[in-house]
Amino acid sequence: MLATAQLWQPFHEFVFMRRALLGGLLLAGSTAPLGVFLILRRMSLIGDAVAHGILPGAALGFWFAGLSLPALTIGGLGAGLSMAGLAAWITRRTGLREDASLAAIYPISLASGVLILGIAGKRLDLLHLLFGSALAVDGPTLTGMLWVSGFSLFAMALIYKPLLLDTLDPLFLQTVSRLGPLAHGVFLMLVVLNLVIGFQAIGALMVVGLMMLPAAASRFWSRRLPVLMGIAALLGCLSVWLGLLLSFYYSLPSGPAIVLVAGGLYLLSVVFGPVHGLLRRPPLLTSQ
Amino acid sequence: MIRCQALRWGAPGQPLTPALDVYLPKGSLTAVIGANGSGKSSLLKVIAGLQRPLAGNVILNVPRKGALSFLPQQQHLDRQFPISLQELVAAGFWGIKLSPELRRQHLNTVLEDWCLSGLEQRPLMALSGGELQRALLARLSLAQTPLVLLDEPHAALDELGQSLLWKHIHEWHAQGRTLVVVCHDLAAVRQHIPQTLLIKNTGCVLGSSTELIRQQPQTQVA
Repeated sequence: MLATAQLWQPFHEFVFMRRALLGGLLLAGSTAPLGVFLILRRMSLIGDAVAHGILPGAALGFWFAGLSLPALTIGGLGAGLSMAGLAAWITRRTGLREDASLAAIYPISLASGVLILGIAGKRLDLLHLLFGSALAVDGPTLTGMLWVSGFSLFAMALIYKPLLLDTLDPLFLQTVSRLGPLAHGVFLMLVVLNLVIGFQAIGALMVVGLMMLPAAASRFWSRRLPVLMGIAALLGCLSVWLGLLLSFYYSLPSGPAIVLVAGGLYLLSVVFGPVHGLLRRPPLLTSQ
Repeated sequence: MIRCQALRWGAPGQPLTPALDVYLPKGSLTAVIGANGSGKSSLLKVIAGLQRPLAGNVILNVPRKGALSFLPQQQHLDRQFPISLQELVAAGFWGIKLSPELRRQHLNTVLEDWCLSGLEQRPLMALSGGELQRALLARLSLAQTPLVLLDEPHAALDELGQSLLWKHIHEWHAQGRTLVVVCHDLAAVRQHIPQTLLIKNTGCVLGSSTELIRQQPQTQVA
């Protein structure tokens, strides 16, 4: 396998590798708690839906302003938020189940994004938008990621308690506080924000993988929420690092390499994880 | 304490009962009984402000936030949620300012009160239905609110748990708190709760438990 030096050397030697690593680690750290809460709230699909939803916004941004970070970000943010908002609104007004309403919205967004790109007829590669390239993280993008991940960790710490109760027992929270809907709103906004900043680094669809796979895998390692989030962040960082190395040494596309490493870690967790993993007998009630 | 004026509730366009006018004074202990689907739980949610009435209104002389505690039915809870019993119970401190020292004392007291000592670190997943129910009741007792609404508090409780429950209900009643309890166990209602609100689609009746339940033997439901 790789010699120890080879684990560090590409990052030491090349600026673009260093940026990609740093950006990826930031992203893994800030999306981990979001992914864990998405799973707990049974909203695992929303990441996928929002990631597709970002596309028309980013395409519009590209059409008007070219390949500029602020335009792509604002476009993606607007489209992602309105996607999530529209789906939630339809659910609330008509009682259509949330997953169905998301599943209905995201082909619409994806198709409009592809359509806009087609009309614009410019060089922006759809594949690049969807699958991205971690190796293209430049200075401004990295700064953006730093701000976004710092802000989302801070905001998550602020809303942690109400969000936890709103997830576990919304009726109880409603009787003691009005913070539930606010926490939910801030949380959704953070999800969109992270997906938007992430799609420029590793692509809209791949960042969903980085958000959900470590979160799903962490469930096999602990029963305590803070530990779950830590493990998810750790697994995410590990995927970024190993994925980038694989992509460097074997000339693989970086986004898929990262996500596939995360996928591998997920499958390992399913098999070997101590909490209800396949190789463990279901724990006895009295043994804990 | 609780005044319902021409209150109608249920799914939009389908009120469950004729308009309800009822007054439950401060310090009263009232059972709510009725068949499945008659709207007992929904009535409790409307009183708690968790659901909008279709018409009419509910007037409480205490604020809804902080002065009211509500015990929902436990199937609302995700049993896989990764927190421990102690964290669940400690959520009852929401909005209460206490020093960490006092918090620990209060927490230990209610855990003992509800026979939960030793289970503090258990994840929700590993609790039995009765243990979870007692944890929810313990969480509710931390808040010490003047108004207590309980939706089927006896569900999943064994004999010991039920006697604990009734002991606490009588204690809270004796402290002058107002209680409304949705309960299916008519024998227990007769024995423990002085007045009963019977919910029926033909009209609701408020009366003494012994009379109402003797008159309505056919309302014996599971």
